Amino acid sequence: MDIRFALETFWSLLAALPLTLELAATSIALGSILALGLALSRLSGILALDLFARTYVFLFRGTPLLVQIFLIYYGLSQFPAVRHSIFWPLLREPYWCAVLALMLNTAAYASEIIRGGLLSVPHGQVEAARACGMGRFMIFRRIVMPQALRQALPGYGNEMISMVKATSLASIITLMEITGVAAKLISESYRVIEVFVVAGVIYLAINFALTRLVAFAEHRLNPKLRAPLPISADLKGETH
Amino acid sequence: MNMSAAVTAPVAIRVHDLHKSFGPVEVLKGVSLEAREGEVISILGSSGSGKSTLLRCINMLEVPNSGTIEVAGEAIRLKTSSDGRSRPADQKQVDRIRSELGMVFQSFNLWSHKTVLENVIEAPVHVLKRPRVEAVEEAEALLAKVGIADKRNHYPSHLSGGQQQRAAIARALAMRPKAMLFDEPTSALDPELVGEVLRVMRGLAEEGRTMLVVTHEMGFARDVSSRVVFVHKGTIEEEGPPQEVFTRSKSERFRQFIKS
Amino acid sequence: MTEPGFLDIISFGADGWGAALAAGAWMTILIAIAGFAIGGLIGTFGAWAKISGGPVVRGCAEAYTTILRGIPDLLVIYLFYFGGSAVVTAVGQLFGAEGFVSLPGFIAGALAVGITSGAQQTEVYRGAFRAVHPGELEAATACGMGRLLKFRRITAPLTLRYALPGLGNVWQVVLKESALVSVTGVVELLRQAQIGAGSTSRPFDFFFIAAMIYLAISTVSGLILQVTERRFSRGVRRG
Repeated sequence: MDIRFALETFWSLLAALPLTLELAATSIALGSILALGLALSRLSGILALDLFARTYVFLFRGTPLLVQIFLIYYGLSQFPAVRHSIFWPLLREPYWCAVLALMLNTAAYASEIIRGGLLSVPHGQVEAARACGMGRFMIFRRIVMPQALRQALPGYGNEMISMVKATSLASIITLMEITGVAAKLISESYRVIEVFVVAGVIYLAINFALTRLVAFAEHRLNPKLRAPLPISADLKGETH
Repeated sequence: MNMSAAVTAPVAIRVHDLHKSFGPVEVLKGVSLEAREGEVISILGSSGSGKSTLLRCINMLEVPNSGTIEVAGEAIRLKTSSDGRSRPADQKQVDRIRSELGMVFQSFNLWSHKTVLENVIEAPVHVLKRPRVEAVEEAEALLAKVGIADKRNHYPSHLSGGQQQRAAIARALAMRPKAMLFDEPTSALDPELVGEVLRVMRGLAEEGRTMLVVTHEMGFARDVSSRVVFVHKGTIEEEGPPQEVFTRSKSERFRQFIKS
Repeated sequence: MTEPGFLDIISFGADGWGAALAAGAWMTILIAIAGFAIGGLIGTFGAWAKISGGPVVRGCAEAYTTILRGIPDLLVIYLFYFGGSAVVTAVGQLFGAEGFVSLPGFIAGALAVGITSGAQQTEVYRGAFRAVHPGELEAATACGMGRLLKFRRITAPLTLRYALPGLGNVWQVVLKESALVSVTGVVELLRQAQIGAGSTSRPFDFFFIAAMIYLAISTVSGLILQVTERRFSRGVRRG
C-alpha cells in the first residue's frame, strides 16, 4: 500500500465528510419527527391514521431505497405540476432529493422502533400518572416518552448507523459525499484497495463514534446503570 | 435383586481412582466403583457432591483428569494434550463405548425436531447402521413397553414430562446398551408424574439390566437397587446393600442425609 | 416507442416494456438468490468460527462482522466490481490478453451482496445456535454420534429451525440490496427501469412500476418464507 497515495486519498475523502454527516444528521432529525407521527398514528386507534401509517411503512420498507431516491430525483420531474410548484427549486437539487428520500425512508423503519418503545411502557405507569391527576399530554411527555425513548434507543442507534451507510447512495445522484469521492478516485487511479480501505476506515470511525454516543445516552437514560443520587441531592437542576 | 448373580457376574463398568476438577474446584477426589452385570446401583448424595459428574465421566461427557474407566473390560484410553488437559486418545473408541451405554438425562433432552419414533430410531439407524425397518419394529416394541406406543408420531413438545422421560428411556434402550446410566431421571418431573417413570425403571431392573442411577428417590434406592453408593464431597462416603446401609450405616453424614 | 402511456409500459406487446421489466425482475431474483446463497456459506463458516474457533479465528470473524456492519454496501460493491476487474485484468495480461477486462457485474454484485449478507447470516446462525437446548446436543454425543453425524442430523436442523425467522429478514435485505448492483451495469430490475426512464419522458412511471415489482417479490417471498417456517418449526418449543 502506497502511504503517500493513501494520505492524499484520506485528505480528499475527509473533505467530503461534512456532506456525509450533514445528509445523515438532517435526514435522521427530520425523519425522527415523521417517525414519531407515524408511530402515534399506529397507536391512535383512529382507523384512517392507523391504515395510512401501516401502508406507509409497508411501502417504504418493502422497496429499495435507491428506487425511492430515483422516484423523487428523476421521477417527480415527469409532472408539470411539480415543475411549476414552489417546491421545484428544492426538488431540482440532488441534495434535497437525497435528504427527502433518506428522511422518508428512515421514518418508516424508525416508526416501528418508536412504536415498540411506546408499547413497552407498562400500562400501570400510565394509570399511576392518571391517579396523580396528570393530563394526557403531561403523561405522554413526562412518563411515557422518557421510558419509551430508553427502550427504543438501542434499536434507534442501529437505524442511525444504517442511515450513515445509506447516505452513500446519494453519490449515485451526483452528490460528492465520501462514497462519491471514493468512486471518483477509484475510476481515476484504479487503486481500488487503497481508496476502499481509507473510505472504509472513515465510515467505521463515524459509526464507532455514533455507537459510543448512543451507549453514552443509554447510560444517561438508564437508572439501573447509574449510581444512586445522594439522599441530600436537591433537584434544582430539574426544569419543568 | 439378584444378589447372588451380582457377586459372580462379570464386571460391566469399573471406575478406578477417578479425579475430576472444574478449574480450581476438585469435584471428584479419587472415586472407585464397580458394577457387575445385572446390578442396579443407586448413587445418592446432596447437590454438588459430584454424583452427576461421576456418572457423566463414565461415558466421557466429562473427561476425568486422571483415573481409569472400563466398560465391559475395555479401558477408555486417555492422553494428556499439550495444554496439560486430559482428553480421549481415540475419539472413535469413545463414540463406540458411548453407543454401548444408554444415557437418560434429567431434562429428557429429546430432539425437538423429531417425533418420538424418530428420536428412538435415530441412533440405531445412523450410529449402529441397523436396517431402518428393523429399527422401527424394535422401537415400536420399546415404546409399547414404556407405555407410550400411541404417542409415537407426536413431537416431544406435545408430551408431558413423564411421557418425554419414558420416550427418552426407550431411546436409550434402542441402542441395546450393555448398561444404562440415569442422571436424576425424575428430578425435573412434577410429583404426580414421577411414579410412571419409576415404574418403568423398576421393570428394567427386574429384567436384570445393569443400571447406574443418580437419584433423590429414597424409595427406589431402598426397594429396587442391589447396592447404594453415597457420594459426599467428591468421595464415596458409604456403600453397601440397601437393607444394610439404610438400617445400620456407620456414616453419620449418610444417616443425616436419609433423615432429611 | 417515443411516447408510451402508462399501460404501454407494462404491456408485453411489441411497443411495451413488460417483457424487458420481467427479465429485469428475474435478474434481480437471480442476484438475490446467488448473494443469499454465498452469504449462507460464509455465515455458516462465520458462526462456526465465532462459536468454536480459537482466539485468532474468532477475532477474524468478529472483525469481519464489525467491519461489514460499519461500511456502506455500495462501497463493497465498488470494491468487488473495480477490484475484481483489476484482478481479472492482471490475470488476463498474464495470459497475453490486452487492455482492460472487466469482471462481469453479476459475479461482482453477487459476491458483494454475499459478503455483506454473510455478516448478517453469521449473527443469525450464531443466535440460533444459542437458542438450541444444549442437552439435545449432549444427547447426541451420549448416543455415540461422531462430530459430522451429529452436525448433520441434530445440530444443523435444530439451528436452522431457530434461524428461519432471521434468515427471512436477511433475505428481504438482500432483495433490496440487489438494486445497488445496477451501478455495475447489470440489467436487473432497477437498471431496466432506468433504461426505460431515460428513453421516454415517463421516469416516474418506470420507477413506480419497478417499486411495485420489488414490493410484489418481497411480499410473495415473505409469504413463502412464512409457510416454510410453519412447516419446519413443527415440534419447536415456543416461549
